Parts: sequence; structure tokens; C-alpha cells
Amino acid sequence: MLELTGVSYRYAGYATEVLHDIDLRLADGEIVGLVGPNEAGKSTLCLVASGLAPASVGGSLRGTLTLDGTPAAGLATHELAERVVVGFQNPNTQRSGIAATVFEEIALGPMNLGLAVAETVERTREAIERLKLEHLVLRDPQRLSGGQAQLVGIASLLAMRPRHVILDEPTAQLDPAGTRLVGEALRSLAGTGTSLLIAEHKTDLLDGLCSRIVAIDGGRIVIDGPTGEVFDDPRLTELGVERPARARLAAALATRGVEPGVLAGALEDATR
Amino acid sequence: MATVESLGAFVIGGYLGPIAIIGLAILPAAASARVAGRLVRISLLLTLPIAISVVLVSVFTRAGVHVLFSIGPFDATAEGVDFAGQTLVRLFAISTSIGLFGLTTEPRSFVLDLERRGLSPRFAFIALATLEAVPAMVERASVIASAQRARGLDTEGSVRARLRGVLPLVGPVILSSLTEVEERSLALEVRAFGRPGRRHLLWRIPDSGTQLIVRAVLLLALVAAIAGRITGTFPSLP
Amino acid sequence: MTGRAPDPGAVSTSAIRTEGLVHVYDGATRALDGVDLAIARGERVAIVGQNGSGKSTLVRHFNGLLRPTEGRVLVDGADVADRRVAHLALTVGLVFQDPDRQIFAGKVRSEVAFGPRNLGRRGAELEGAIDAALVATGLDKDAETNPYDLGYSRRKLLALASILAMGTPIVVLDEPTTGQDARGVERIHRIVAELSASGRTVVAISHDMRFVAEAFERVIVMRDGRIVLDGSPAEVFAETAWPTLASTFLEPPLAARIGARLGLGSTPTDDTLLAALAAR
Repeated sequence: MLELTGVSYRYAGYATEVLHDIDLRLADGEIVGLVGPNEAGKSTLCLVASGLAPASVGGSLRGTLTLDGTPAAGLATHELAERVVVGFQNPNTQRSGIAATVFEEIALGPMNLGLAVAETVERTREAIERLKLEHLVLRDPQRLSGGQAQLVGIASLLAMRPRHVILDEPTAQLDPAGTRLVGEALRSLAGTGTSLLIAEHKTDLLDGLCSRIVAIDGGRIVIDGPTGEVFDDPRLTELGVERPARARLAAALATRGVEPGVLAGALEDATR
Repeated sequence: MATVESLGAFVIGGYLGPIAIIGLAILPAAASARVAGRLVRISLLLTLPIAISVVLVSVFTRAGVHVLFSIGPFDATAEGVDFAGQTLVRLFAISTSIGLFGLTTEPRSFVLDLERRGLSPRFAFIALATLEAVPAMVERASVIASAQRARGLDTEGSVRARLRGVLPLVGPVILSSLTEVEERSLALEVRAFGRPGRRHLLWRIPDSGTQLIVRAVLLLALVAAIAGRITGTFPSLP
Repeated sequence: MTGRAPDPGAVSTSAIRTEGLVHVYDGATRALDGVDLAIARGERVAIVGQNGSGKSTLVRHFNGLLRPTEGRVLVDGADVADRRVAHLALTVGLVFQDPDRQIFAGKVRSEVAFGPRNLGRRGAELEGAIDAALVATGLDKDAETNPYDLGYSRRKLLALASILAMGTPIVVLDEPTTGQDARGVERIHRIVAELSASGRTVVAISHDMRFVAEAFERVIVMRDGRIVLDGSPAEVFAETAWPTLASTFLEPPLAARIGARLGLGSTPTDDTLLAALAAR
């Protein structure tokens, strides 16, 4: 379990805190979606939940982050890396820059953990299978498209088999087919007991994937609840968060006096 | 091999020594790797600047008795020419041996092999990242150039116009590299690049028995040469 | 299928025309395999397709960054062959996908000034163009801010503003909505509509099918260097076109899929779907 209790955070060299009083809990196998307008603190929250803020980035943290019972405060960054990984949306920065092939790139994480060669290869293969990257294994990581690079970045994190995975806009560069692929990979991952926190704009993706949604605005959590409830909450639109299609259409139909039930069946079919 | 040959060229006196090394060891090795032509050309080009200054300095300032000709207060002596000749030959031996190394070794394999033999993973990373940095920069610079040209930056016009283009072309390369550094290093930490201790590498550089023997022989020859030189038992070669 | 056959009478009114356009990279990769295309002035066109379908290659011919291997490209009726990129920038503004690959100024305002300055704008005309671009992209209050103090999504808007200020009759956008939140996407939608309303031509590459269906009047689908579908959103996302879309690994927007399930005809956008439902 990953738990943030009463967390407030301020970046180094800045006077004001950007996160205020955050309480967030991720149970094993749970997939939680994080939504909010840009610059509300989603990325900062991802950094803090991974322990990298303040362990690597500096700054000052009030409150506590606990990883599977251990406080994160005393852990070195490589010790954090064994428990929780965080991925960012810019595929250029996620690349190591030293791998000759995609296979090597994905293998670097487990290799760095000091694992035996057989184990490294096993984990790398598993990550490649999960994200269906078999056709890219021998390619040069520098020569991939933005979408391909993003998928390789995600695979590189999954290969480390962390207990907790935090992803900041993992499908930013992906088209609908790629987005669906990531959704399936993450769903199967959660099935193994990994907990996931996914910050996204694509609420349709989160709708099918997450059991809980957390909405953040101005550095504070304003909504935290089951997916169905949260996405029907009209407050989301005020926050500047686009609701998933079913909620949007159902609400629009209601205002025009049309029975939303008509929609429900078709929606189920269409999104399968 | 490069180290041995470079040192050997110094140790063995006279002309014959270095020439022998070049002729017997370096060039045949280069020929078998099919880089002999390039090697000679590149080594000549690289040693040329130093060679010129060596010749000028040695010929005119080396203490000697047999004066060949004079320019102003400077005397060109036969001893100077002799010294210059020997130095040039040695320089060429060194540059060809280092050149051979550079042309035949794949940098990645070299670095990874070093790590396998004990180099810290962190240094290995720095070396590899530096090697890859240039092609990545070139790629980045080319995208930036396209974007700025699309905004009307003239890269085909007058010199003045092109000078004005330096900041818009170079600026983003530096700025984006700097701003990416933080996120890059975070991403590296996440993947445990900072973890102390050894790793079990996926790669193995093939190392045959022959190579092992050749290396041993060369090393022994070098040690013998140094010993010979020190104890003065080395014959004087022309 | 190569798209709508260019109408001979349209030569003089086409903003962009390509004839048998072929582009081969490195003597081996055939990125464009014979593209015939005519885009009228003031049209709003979206180009969609998988990676490697040729979309980016195609639009880079419009401002001369890439030159045809075979065939011709005409902008405003004239062949681009003899015109330099810097000169074509007067007519075609291309907004790149990654803002960090072009930002170099210390202030938002100076960054936006770069493009129009290169095109020769000065004085009140220049300042006016910059002001308008900043207001449209919501950056007017940040004119003196350092671009890197803005978040990524606002830097993307800055890149857009930099091209808008150039006042080019044709504007090409490469994935304008990636990384934007809902408000950002709405803003881009508004900008596209305003550009078109003022007679300017807008071409956008996007993989956001909903944005494409709602903001554009014409959708061109590419696969393997060719155009495979070309029509209005209602035509391109209609059920009859789905097999072709599927062959390019694209999916129609959700509204279209629901409309088809309910037998309402082609309803590519939320609004058309709702209208069709209400009418039933």
C-alpha cells in the first residue's frame, strides 16, 4: 500500500507550497485515476507520491509518505526505485540514451537492480509482451516515433516489477489504438497486485480502467471517490476536466429531456 | 595493444625500432581489419601540425656540431635533423597505434567490456551517454533548424542574416537540453541507475584465446624492452 | 483512391495543391506514394493516419522543408520548387509539435515577435499582430514571463501564438491538442474557427478523433503514403467507411459508433448524435 498523509510540498527555492494537505491511499491492485486542469499539481503529486520529491528534487515536505509500511523519508533513491516507479509524459527524457536497441533499453532497469541475467531477460520479455512491442525490439530507441517511444518508456518501468506504478499522462503521445493498448496492459498489471496511479486527461480511458478517481485543483484534492460517482459529478466540468463520453452525453440528453437509458445499451456495445 | 606499441616506440631507440613496430605490428593488424589506407591517411593528417613544429624546433635548436645551413641566428645541424627524424618516426608510430585502436574498436563494446572487468557502472554510463550525446544533439539541432526556418529564419541568405540566426538556432538546443536535464536525471534514478554495486551485464564481448596470447606476448616484449633500456643492455640501433 | 479529383477550375482558388506527389527518404523509404490533393482557401482540413502514414511528410512539403522526389506542390497557385523556405513562410505557417524545439527568447513577447519580424513586420503593425496572437492563446497576461516558467501546455500555446502572429493565409498545425486539458482543447477549437472565419486556411494533423470531427469540415485519412478517405466528418466516420478506417488502425469517435449502433445514420459529433436522438 502507498499512503500519503497530510502532505504539503514546496519546491526548493520557492516560497509557496504547491500541494496542500494531501491524503491519498493506494491499495494493492487498485487503479486510481488523477484528474485536474493543467498546472493544478498533478505532476507534483506524482513526484511526491514516488518519493522523488524531496529525495531527489529537494524542496520541503510536510506530512508523510509510507510505502508498504516503511516511511519513505529515510530511503535512498535507488531504494525507492525498488518499490515505486514514476513515468513522465515526455518520451525524450524517459530514454536512457545509452541503449543500442529497444530490448536493451527496457532491460536496463532490471539490470541496474543487480538481478541475474536470466531474471533480467525474463522481466524484459514480460514487459515487451504486455505492451506488444515485439516488433520493435531491435530498433534504435533514438529513432522511434513519439508514440512508440512512450510505449517503450512505460515498458522500461514495468520491467522493474515495482509494487507501485505512477504514470503522468502515459498516453499523451498515443493515438486511440495505443491508448487502448496501454489500458489493457495496465489492467493486467493491476491484476498481479501492483497498485497504479494514473494522471490523465483522457477520462474515457480512466472510466474503463480505474476503480477510483481523485480530482485535484490548486494543489488540493477536491474530489475522491468511486469512478462512477465522480464522473457523474457536475463539479468536474467547472474544474475544467472533460467528463467521459457516457457522462457527457447522458447529461446533455437529460437537459434536452431525452431518456438517457436509450444511450446506455449502445454505449456498452460501442466501448467494448 | 595501442599502449604497448606507443610505449615501445619510445623505448626502442633509433629509427629502426619505431619503423619495425609500424611495419611488423601496426600495419599488418590494420590491413587485416581493412583500415590500413584510412589509418595512414588520418595519422599523417593528425601528426602533420606537430611534425612541423617538431622539425622546426629540433633542427634549429638541437645542440650539434655539424652545421648544414643557417637562417639568421639559427643554425640547422645534422644532429638536429637526426633527432627530428627519430622523433617524427616515433610520433607516427604512436599516432598509427592509437589510430588503429580508434578505427577498430567499437566504443560501446569497449566501455561495456571495461565495466565487465570492474569499471564502476556510473563511469560506464557517463562514457556511453557522452558517446551518444552527439548524434542526439545533431538530431535535435536539425528539428530546431526546421522549426525556425518555418518561422522565416533565412539560413540560405547573406552572412549577416546567418549570424542573426545563431541565437534562434543554438538557443533552443542549449535551453531544451538544460531544462530536460532535471527530468532526465529523475528518470534515471527511477530506473536505479544510482544504485551502488555491480550489475550482471547482458553483453559479453568475445575474447578469443589468440587475442589473449597476443596481448601477453606484447606485454612481455614491452617489459623486456624497458628492462633492457634501463639496464643499458639494449643494443644501439641506427 | 487518391482523394477528390482536383477540379480544373479550382486551380486559381486552391490554397494548396499537390499533383502526383511522391517523396522517398534516403533512396529507400517511400513516405508519399502519389498524393493528389486540392485544399481550397478558407477550408478547415484535418489529416489523420497512423505513424508512418505520411502525414508529417506531406505537410512539410507545403512550406518547402521537404521537396518532392516526383510530382509538384503548388501553394497559392505557384509551384514551390523555386521558393526558399523563408520565403514560403510568408504564406504557410507551420506549428511544430514540440514547443521546446523552437523556444529561445527570454520573454513570451519576444518569442512571438520572432516570426513576424522575420517576415518584415515592424512598428504598430508588428505590435498589433503580437497582441492579437497573445490574446487568442490566452497568454496576454504573461507577455513578460519567461517561456520556461510556463507549463508545457502553455508553451505549446506559445508556439501556436508565434505562428499566428505571422499572419500567414495558410496555417498548418502538427498535433495541436496533445498535452492540453479540456480548456486548452476548447481554445484551440476556437482559434481554428476564428482563422477559418477570417478566410485563412487551416490544416491540422491530429490523432484526437473527437477534436477532428468537431473542429474540421474535411477529414483526409492517410495510409502508407496515400490518401484512402477524403470527405466531411459525417462521410469519413460513417459506418460504410469503418472497414477502411480499421485498416489504418483508426477508430471513429464514440459519437459515431453510438449513432451507428442506434441506427441514427452518421453522427460524428456529440451534437449531431444528440440532435438525431432528440429527433427520433
